[in-house]
Amino acid sequence: MTPAGAAVAERAGGRSGVPRWLRPAVITAGVLVLVLAPLGFTENTYIQTVLILTLLLVVSSSGWNIISGFAGYVSLGQGAFIGVGAYTVGILSRHTDVSPFVLAPLGGVAAAALAAVLGLVAMRARGHAFVIITIAFLFLMQTLALNLQSITGGSAGITLPLPTWSRDIGELPFYYAMLALAVLSVALAAWIRRSKLGAGLLAIREDEGKATAIGIRTPAYKLIGFVVSAVLIGIAGGIDGYFLTFIDPRGMFDILISVQIVLAALLGGRGTIWGPVLGAFLLQPLSEVVNNYFGTRLGIRLLVFGGLLALVVMLMPAGIIPTIRTAVRRWRERGSVVPFIEQPVRRAKPAAAAPPEEPAVPALAVRVSDREPVAERPPLLEIQGLSKRFGGLTALDGCSFSVREGTITGLIGPNGSGKTTVFNLVTGIVPGAGGQVRFDSRRIDQLRPWERPALGIGRTFQITRLFKQLTVLENVVAPLSHFSLRHLASGGTSGAEAARARELLDLVGLGAFGDRTAGTLSFGQQKLVELAQVLMLEPKLIMLDEPAGGVNPSLIEHLADLIRQLNRDGISFLVVEHNMPLVLQLCDPVVVLAAGRCIAQGPPQAIQRDPEVLGAYLGGDGSATQGLPEGSGAPQGGAPVGRGGPGNPRGVPR
Amino acid sequence: MSREAVTSGVLELRGVVAGYGGGDVLQGVDLEVEPGSITCIVGPNGAGKSTVLRTVSGLLPPRKGTITLDGKTIGGLDPAGVLQHGIVQVPQHGGLFPSLSVRENVLMGAWLLRRDRSLVRRRYQQVVETLPVLAEWADRKAGNLSGGQRRLVEFARSLMVEPTVVLLDEPSLGLDPASLRQVYDLVKLLNQQGVTLLLVEQNVRVGLGAATWAVVMESGRVRLAGPPREVLDNPEIADLYLGGTITHTGRV
Repeated sequence: MTPAGAAVAERAGGRSGVPRWLRPAVITAGVLVLVLAPLGFTENTYIQTVLILTLLLVVSSSGWNIISGFAGYVSLGQGAFIGVGAYTVGILSRHTDVSPFVLAPLGGVAAAALAAVLGLVAMRARGHAFVIITIAFLFLMQTLALNLQSITGGSAGITLPLPTWSRDIGELPFYYAMLALAVLSVALAAWIRRSKLGAGLLAIREDEGKATAIGIRTPAYKLIGFVVSAVLIGIAGGIDGYFLTFIDPRGMFDILISVQIVLAALLGGRGTIWGPVLGAFLLQPLSEVVNNYFGTRLGIRLLVFGGLLALVVMLMPAGIIPTIRTAVRRWRERGSVVPFIEQPVRRAKPAAAAPPEEPAVPALAVRVSDREPVAERPPLLEIQGLSKRFGGLTALDGCSFSVREGTITGLIGPNGSGKTTVFNLVTGIVPGAGGQVRFDSRRIDQLRPWERPALGIGRTFQITRLFKQLTVLENVVAPLSHFSLRHLASGGTSGAEAARARELLDLVGLGAFGDRTAGTLSFGQQKLVELAQVLMLEPKLIMLDEPAGGVNPSLIEHLADLIRQLNRDGISFLVVEHNMPLVLQLCDPVVVLAAGRCIAQGPPQAIQRDPEVLGAYLGGDGSATQGLPEGSGAPQGGAPVGRGGPGNPRGVPR
Repeated sequence: MSREAVTSGVLELRGVVAGYGGGDVLQGVDLEVEPGSITCIVGPNGAGKSTVLRTVSGLLPPRKGTITLDGKTIGGLDPAGVLQHGIVQVPQHGGLFPSLSVRENVLMGAWLLRRDRSLVRRRYQQVVETLPVLAEWADRKAGNLSGGQRRLVEFARSLMVEPTVVLLDEPSLGLDPASLRQVYDLVKLLNQQGVTLLLVEQNVRVGLGAATWAVVMESGRVRLAGPPREVLDNPEIADLYLGGTITHTGRV
């Protein structure tokens, strides 16, 4: 990392605008205040009640935040899990003498089980459909509670045993139980945010299609996220039921509770760890004040909620915490120079940057031991008779070719000849085609899209599809090379995965940019980040869709060097590119597509001279291989380049 | 395309500072775009080339400095206001409505004139004459076009308002050699009709080959401006920012 780069990284390190030591100190102090404060007014059960309800909102809103803030699937039925937890505890305590506190975790289990079932159904829907399904779930639970009278007591509800402890300590046991849960849920959210699972959930929120292309098993992620988001809410619901000592369908499955959960998170900052906490501590007391002042009859509370929601959406759509954070960052960076890269891609590993025992390209999956002649190497990717129609348009029409192991195979052809469609079909993000695709001698065209990257297929996109709101580092740790719960739980933006991601960022020359928001990078830089992202998969084959498009010529040379270096380490490439000089110096063999078919395949020198290729792609004369528009009958005629042609009647400016 | 030669005045940027978030990408850009010129900005990735276009077209308000067209201030206007001055930007990517047909997408470019239907129809005819391939694609859904085809449609759409200044962000991006030639033929044709073009191009050979004035940007500033040949022949510039000799000889 250059000194300038280090300075950038250092500045970016304090992104939240808080010194490093301050954060744990503030958290400890906050928790201490919450632990000690109620001891001051053991007599005042009203304040205790407000605090308990606030903490319940912290737990539910933090839970909601995992599926709706991180993964972007907005649930309006999350309040149902409070009811599920409460009913579980209520029903069980009718049959046993065990303290409801002991039963409360079973409320969490019940909530998790229901969330899993609901998740299986709801996760097939997106956007508004998902929201509606969650609301329907809430009403379904209410209806069940009303009608299963023998179990739930119907509309009369369930009365739980009164607490047995001394009246002197008031509601304190409830308070501390709820506080413990609140601390737990914030810690859980923070842990998930840093884990591989969290990186994947954020990726799903940003671009679900792209997430599958980097191996994120989206249905599993969403299901796990949904279950995790419900479990603590269920436990809190159990404690809430005991605290209220009376459970009825109307109170427990009130949609207002769900609305409040959502509102608290939106107010504080959706997708942040502390947003739901802040939101809950603002919203619940406010709601109490309004109720005390106006009474509950008039429903003024609803007006306040509605007004508040409108204000949040209009004034700070991101919520309080992100708005403040952005303002602080802007203030600190005002007038600063946004760094740019001149010579970003490292040819060789500088001694100081990486630990000496690490190779420049870390632990790649395969290594082609001997350089056999191209023709004898086994095909890594085989495409046979691939066909695909979009409406009345034939994109691919019986296309067949193969990529041999250890090669950098070029794929060229006119616009619309089906190059990108080949990529989309091989990675599976576009379904339903005729023909076969084999990878490593295994048929893959029936596999789900997220299963294919795990086999070792990585791709980049013509127009980069980074997760623009996430940091560069979060982008690079998001890919999932294999699916296991342990891997999901492992560190994402910290630990081994992050270290590897930083190495790969160094490799593409963007080591200093890890903490910057991906969307603020220039187009060429985003291309390099996407390459680093793909390398996280430890791929055997990387498919590059116009790697040089929009990239500065000096950078293209480095990019070509990088591709060769990775190729020497055993990665095969399939490269779609229009920059012919680059294709000719980098690729062997070259495959030519035209109108959805493979019309030629062979070494670049032969392709360059093939009359059919010249006619279909290069435009009929040799000058096209230089990529120059001159000599193509352009109206500029023989005017010397740049000397103020006919289009510049006043001659050269200035 | 039959049209009167409407020529813009000079487009001038003075000390323009702009950026996203807190930092400044543009560090004080001074730039003059002569009427009737094809001015091409080149430079390394992240130097602020696209940002210059965004500040001119009103997508990004400048924090400091002035932008004027023919002496009239346009810096700080919103994109619609800038469009009223005859300046139109063809974005780097992603501007088409995928579920509409190509014809509908092109017609959408004349949204400002939608009340004058005969004018819109006439303009559409002119645009199709300029770019005949549009007639062939007219009924296809834009979402089914390939990347390169979309670029041409985006370009065509911007012509519906008869601009006097066209801002092109990487016109060569994703184009095969034949389409590339088509786009640059179009650039030259428009220029002959008096349209001023300001383009950002990474394909330096093609961009500077067509340009009448070259601008090299570096770290948010204009490092050098001059006739393209001079810029190409400046050994330091060629080495640092244009990929060395590759610019001239098409090194293989």
